[in-house]
Amino acid sequence: MNAALALIAGFFPPDLGLSYLGAAVGPVLQTMGMAMGGMLIAIVVGLPLAMIIGSRVRGARVLYGALTGIRAVPDLTLAILCVVVFGLGPAAGMLALAIFYTAMVGKVFADLFMAADPRPIEALYATGASRISVSIFGLVPLAVKDLLSLGCYSLECAVRAAVIVGAVGGGGLGTELVGTLNGFQFHRAATIIIILILLVGSIDSLSWILRRAPKFVFMLLPLGLVSLWVYRPQFFAFGHAVSTIGAMFPPQLPSSAVGEIPRLIGETILIAAGGTAFAVVAAIPLGICSARNIVPNGVASAVRLALETLRAVPEVVWGLILVTVVGVGPVAGVFALAIHTAGVLGKLYAESFENVECDAVHAIEATGAGKLATVLFAIIPLGSGAAAINTLFRFEWNLRAATVVGMIGAGGIGQALYNAQQLFFYNQMMAYVLITWGIVLFAEWLSTLTRRRYGWMSAI
Amino acid sequence: MRNRSAFIGRLLAVILAFAGSAAISPQGMAADPAIRVGMIPDAGATQVSIEQKAPLRDHLAKATGLNVELIIPTNYNATVEALGNGSLDFAYLGGLTYVIAHEKYGVVPMVQRESDLQFHSLFITQTGSSIKSLADLKGKNFAYGDIVSTSGHLMPYAALTKAGIDSDKDMKSRYTGSHPATAKAVESGTVDAGAMDESVYQAMIADGSLDKSRVRVFYTTPPFLDYVWVARKDVSAAARQKFEAAFLALQKGRDDKVLEILRGTKFIRANDALYNDLRKIAKELKLF
Repeated sequence: MNAALALIAGFFPPDLGLSYLGAAVGPVLQTMGMAMGGMLIAIVVGLPLAMIIGSRVRGARVLYGALTGIRAVPDLTLAILCVVVFGLGPAAGMLALAIFYTAMVGKVFADLFMAADPRPIEALYATGASRISVSIFGLVPLAVKDLLSLGCYSLECAVRAAVIVGAVGGGGLGTELVGTLNGFQFHRAATIIIILILLVGSIDSLSWILRRAPKFVFMLLPLGLVSLWVYRPQFFAFGHAVSTIGAMFPPQLPSSAVGEIPRLIGETILIAAGGTAFAVVAAIPLGICSARNIVPNGVASAVRLALETLRAVPEVVWGLILVTVVGVGPVAGVFALAIHTAGVLGKLYAESFENVECDAVHAIEATGAGKLATVLFAIIPLGSGAAAINTLFRFEWNLRAATVVGMIGAGGIGQALYNAQQLFFYNQMMAYVLITWGIVLFAEWLSTLTRRRYGWMSAI
Repeated sequence: MRNRSAFIGRLLAVILAFAGSAAISPQGMAADPAIRVGMIPDAGATQVSIEQKAPLRDHLAKATGLNVELIIPTNYNATVEALGNGSLDFAYLGGLTYVIAHEKYGVVPMVQRESDLQFHSLFITQTGSSIKSLADLKGKNFAYGDIVSTSGHLMPYAALTKAGIDSDKDMKSRYTGSHPATAKAVESGTVDAGAMDESVYQAMIADGSLDKSRVRVFYTTPPFLDYVWVARKDVSAAARQKFEAAFLALQKGRDDKVLEILRGTKFIRANDALYNDLRKIAKELKLF
């Protein structure tokens, strides 16, 4: 406990000196540039893919499976592959993000389109409209608000991912953050974390604006294009890429490693499950205390700020910070995931409670129920369906994240994958990627099954 | 009306945040760097923030007369692959990463610190711990650095093997990913002991980021060869010589700022043949 307090105290006061803030400008721009450029590619490629899947043509299932497959590769590993092809530098980071988020945007938007009301689309088909015009005039308008808020959510995730993924290419806030943490310059790490919170907060504002005035989305286009141009790959190592990626096949494990697989898979699932479970326990009260229809505005805002802090810091970075308090190993992984996830779920729970339909709440209030009774018997039960979907989605997400925290010694398949990669045993690395793939596919299948069983709609 | 002003306020904030970044972006990148220099995350320079890395970059730029871009990935693997595909010209590697990069991509060794010839790994534990020797580590929780680190994994692992301890079976070993993380994990008692780079240990004790009243060294490995600066296979001999000269010219008393980042006092020429012992050990332990 003392260690934890000393650790927290170490971050104060943040280094807000002009010289350091000045030095941080470059990394901030690089991280934002990588995220914006990567997201532009992701949307330009991912949205049409989602529309193809959403228009329910033949082969859509295969495409959907392929997108799921890409998402199963840890983004750090994707970043290494991009370094192999495009050289060291921000371009590699940006393209790794582009690939990962193309798959994410494609899948999430496809889910959204498939959940949309099918009648207008059938009507359009009946007029003899082609597939393309059905997609453009049928699917997109149906879901424009959801598309925008999910798009903003993806951008927020991309900014956070750009911190860690970008660092592989040697740039941006990640290099700075990891550097300051490794150097125990916590005052400066605190500055970077504050910057991250502000960035994530500004994307929240962006989302708020776009939901009210969708046309402003075009404001982002030039920014994305500038970023793309600045961080375009200036390097392309075809021969090197072919031979390096060729060395990953066939995937192979030494017999001693094969026996370890069940334990590693178990460890990964435990890290993800433990991280999600602790997060849920923390997020329920935090979510309630930040729902504006339950607590006063002032309290809600304060709690929201705390949630934003938890959320703005990526899992791996929480892991780096925690190593002195909880040591290395699966426990560090569990806490790293739990802290970040509590921030995410707390926010989503609050939104679920706030989105509860007023009629039901008014009905309970009309019976003369007090505030507490209204909250207990109307708001919380009504909001818990949506909260459950978000929790399920977050568990899937954490299975992937559990492989990434392997990098800091949390264990599981992720650590085995990272170690094989670091030692250049590429065919072993590929074997672990395939295993991760299997775990994530299984989890997605299980989650779809559960959602169908309980009639829950798709969620982010 | 209130809504409208809230809307405009948020819009302005967002425009500031986003447009600001894109508008200045081009200046965020160095203009066509002539040479690209990388350092593995083990290196001293990753432990300070970007602002503090500037003296090293400036020294290299001034001494070579070239535009230098210093790139520090958080990953050993990315550094070596970048030497392989030509996106880095020079890099600072650890002993084991050098041996791997030499075999895979034919990188050329150039210079190293005098101290790299006689490098040591330290085994550390808490001051009050009962661990006095390698044999006491049986059954204990143990922290290595990164798996591909010479002083944080290869050499300590070899020392344990020599002492008759099977690190995979007799102890509970984990990889922290970096020397400072190992040091902190030992200091806080979340592991029983750990092995790390001596120069990082000394630097941490000196600047107070590691409390010397809470940790102690209980074993020092025999000397081995470690870090080295290398050039990509296709870098011209002329460019290589300029780069070597920039390091060989470093003098204590005059270039302390740069030497402090590099955690050394004097640079000498490196020789590939000296790494044969390390190659043999790495092969035996199946890390290469």
